[in-house]
Amino acid sequence: MKNILLATVLGLSFLGLKAQKNDKYQTVEIQTSAICEMCQYAIEKEMALEKGVKSSSLNLDNKVLTVKYNSKKTDSDKVRKRVSLTGYHADDVERDPEAYENLPLCCKDGAHADDDEHHQE
Amino acid sequence: MKKFLFVALATIITESISAQDIMGRVIDHKNEPLIGATVFLPIAEKGSITDINGQFEIKNVTKDQTAIVSFVGFKTDTISLLFGQHLTIKMQEDTELDEVVIKSSTTFIDNVEPIHAEVITEKELLKTACCNLSESFETNASVDVSFTDAVTGTKTIRMLGLDGKYTLINRENMPHVRGLSARLGLNYIPGTWIQSIDVGKGSGSVINGYESMTGQINVEFKKPENSEKLYLNAYGNSFGRMELNANTAFAINDKWSGALLTHADYFNNEIDGNNDGFMDLPKAKQVNILNRYKYRGDRIVSQIGFHFLKDQKAGGQNGFNFGDDALTSTLYGYSSDVSKMEVFGKVGVLFPHAPYKGWGFIYSASVQDNKSGFGHKAYTGQEKTLYTNLIHQNIIGNTFHQYKTGLSFMIDDFTESFADSAFSRTEIVPGAFFEYSYMPNDKFTLVSGLRTDAHNLYGLYVTPRLHMRYEVMPEGTLRLAIGKGYRTSNIITENSQAFISSRNLVVEEELKPEESWNMGGSFVKEIKIGEQNMSIIADYFHTEFQNQVIVDMDQNPSEVRFYNLDGRSFANSYQIEVGTSLNDFISTKAAYKYYDVKATIDGDLRPLPYVSKNRTFWNVSYTSKYDIWQADATLQWYGSKRLPNTTSKSAEFQRPDYSPDFTNVNVQLSRTFRWGNVYIGSENLLDFKQKNPIIDPENPFSDQFDGSLVWGPIAGRMVYFGMRYKIN
Repeated sequence: MKNILLATVLGLSFLGLKAQKNDKYQTVEIQTSAICEMCQYAIEKEMALEKGVKSSSLNLDNKVLTVKYNSKKTDSDKVRKRVSLTGYHADDVERDPEAYENLPLCCKDGAHADDDEHHQE
Repeated sequence: MKKFLFVALATIITESISAQDIMGRVIDHKNEPLIGATVFLPIAEKGSITDINGQFEIKNVTKDQTAIVSFVGFKTDTISLLFGQHLTIKMQEDTELDEVVIKSSTTFIDNVEPIHAEVITEKELLKTACCNLSESFETNASVDVSFTDAVTGTKTIRMLGLDGKYTLINRENMPHVRGLSARLGLNYIPGTWIQSIDVGKGSGSVINGYESMTGQINVEFKKPENSEKLYLNAYGNSFGRMELNANTAFAINDKWSGALLTHADYFNNEIDGNNDGFMDLPKAKQVNILNRYKYRGDRIVSQIGFHFLKDQKAGGQNGFNFGDDALTSTLYGYSSDVSKMEVFGKVGVLFPHAPYKGWGFIYSASVQDNKSGFGHKAYTGQEKTLYTNLIHQNIIGNTFHQYKTGLSFMIDDFTESFADSAFSRTEIVPGAFFEYSYMPNDKFTLVSGLRTDAHNLYGLYVTPRLHMRYEVMPEGTLRLAIGKGYRTSNIITENSQAFISSRNLVVEEELKPEESWNMGGSFVKEIKIGEQNMSIIADYFHTEFQNQVIVDMDQNPSEVRFYNLDGRSFANSYQIEVGTSLNDFISTKAAYKYYDVKATIDGDLRPLPYVSKNRTFWNVSYTSKYDIWQADATLQWYGSKRLPNTTSKSAEFQRPDYSPDFTNVNVQLSRTFRWGNVYIGSENLLDFKQKNPIIDPENPFSDQFDGSLVWGPIAGRMVYFGMRYKIN
């Protein structure tokens, strides 16, 4: 009986530890103003360099960036701030104007809007 | 002229030469569109500029046309419309004046993938953190790096089995590592200054002179317009060597930009792992500064640079220090004190409406001063050099036929003394050259060049060179090259290892310039296996000397004799290299080299000393997504090498005829952060050391002493650590 109790306690505490370990990682979905593959590359690279971020992936169809992060090292606000500093809107966080200025032209507003226009001699 | 051309996979290639519309997109190396790039068809006299997306369209053209794509700051590209109606043109940034970039032997044109060229990029250079150009080839299979003696710690390179002095080493297309710095000059180019290195095997283009006999290496330094605003590198290793680099690039106004590249290293420890009383590596300190400016106007592109170098070494027996006089010291000392100053530059005249046309002028003036002590023997050498090269580029009729022609002029003045002999000479060499390129399509290129130089001391040099490239099958390219080369040898500085010994210098006769033919070819095949690429490179080169200055250390172990070749001297080099990526993160490169290098030494044809007949090379590289982590390991196996004959030495001082084989492993790990990166690595990880590299080290002033018989590493395992900080 004692052994069973001990085993149960150990088992529970192990589960607890495991749960705690899983709790460390949280996922956040952020609506961004990314446009093209270039933007995707820039944002995902910045996420890879960001402290506490485990993985990230940007869906170019709906511009949603999914970030898995360690909640002990960072939080969703810091992640949004980083997206903003890369030059893109992140939910309600406005993009950093200076970073936006430095973006490649294909990542700027309307860059791909006039695809059908061709200047010709 | 290095082009990477991509064609949309949807391209429908039709055979007809009927009129059609072409559309395309012009992008730069970061895949960003270039707005306002000119796309121009000279024959049809039609053109267009790219819009905000880098796109263009030209209506009603025939497919036999060639389009010229140009954009300020990028290499002008020519593209055959045979590639299809939907083009994506990836422009290479032009870090050079357009006039001087033809390097047919390394030109790559491919219609699906950018292929492996032997271009060592900055990213590749980061795999070897230390320290200068001589070590930049550690991850390249074509260039061999080796130590030369037990005292000076000098690393040298070899190509095609022959000494690096037979390779023309250019800095931004001007001959640079030559003359008195043919050997040590590699150590004067800090790794952090280098933007890229092009390695061309076999004879090079006639534009850069007659000196390339086994190959041509061009080193591009960091440019004002595309370098980091600030770049700092700090390096330290387990021997106690420290290095600091600080580079900065700045814009002065719309047209002027500048860069300052600096390097300092300091090493003042006595490492004597083998307890022979001699330092395994000399103490060393160096200050190296390069300041350059660039002007870019609409028609004129110009740059000017200033270079200052001071390099000091103190080696030999433990206790010998900087500033000690080797001549009077009771210790066997090696001292070296080199200073160099240089002004160099370029002026280019461009024709915006005729991008195939241009003028270029290259100049360099330098003064170099060497003072060395090899035990009780003193060496002094001064070299003053003036080099100019004027190049004109144009087309004949259409861009299928292009030519480059020009005039060069060089004055090279040497004043040298060694022990009780003095040497001096002044070379004055005016020259003229013409190089014709035929590029009828993207599968075939023929470059034929001829130069003549009127050498004031050695008469007329006639230098023909021929290069051909042919895409014999999809993704399979054959290159052939043949060419002549000449050079004047500087026996003391090129063979300084021989003087770390009791050997006396014997020059048997008046030495003539060295002269050789080189011929060979390579075949490159790219294979796609699933998602991954594999490349196979096989090459063969043959160098045959008509004259060579023979360095004879065989005849008498107490002498080093120099004389003109009397008989045959040749080098056959075979190499096969296979590179493949195992997945998106791991790639590997393996090479096997076979060298058959023989020269007539002391009356008979025998293998050249210190050349491994067999060598293998293996590199594994791991790069995590977005380059956050990078790990590299390189293994090199060196087969046995012939050693100079020591049979007439007393029995205890004799050495075997051949060295054992050995393996060297280098590894490095680096982590990238937003501000830069941190790296840690090891050279000679297996801690292999040549035992007893010095003969009779207890009696360095005896007639048995010899520190020149070095075939392997002397210092053991070295671990290094460093960090780089960047502001873009």
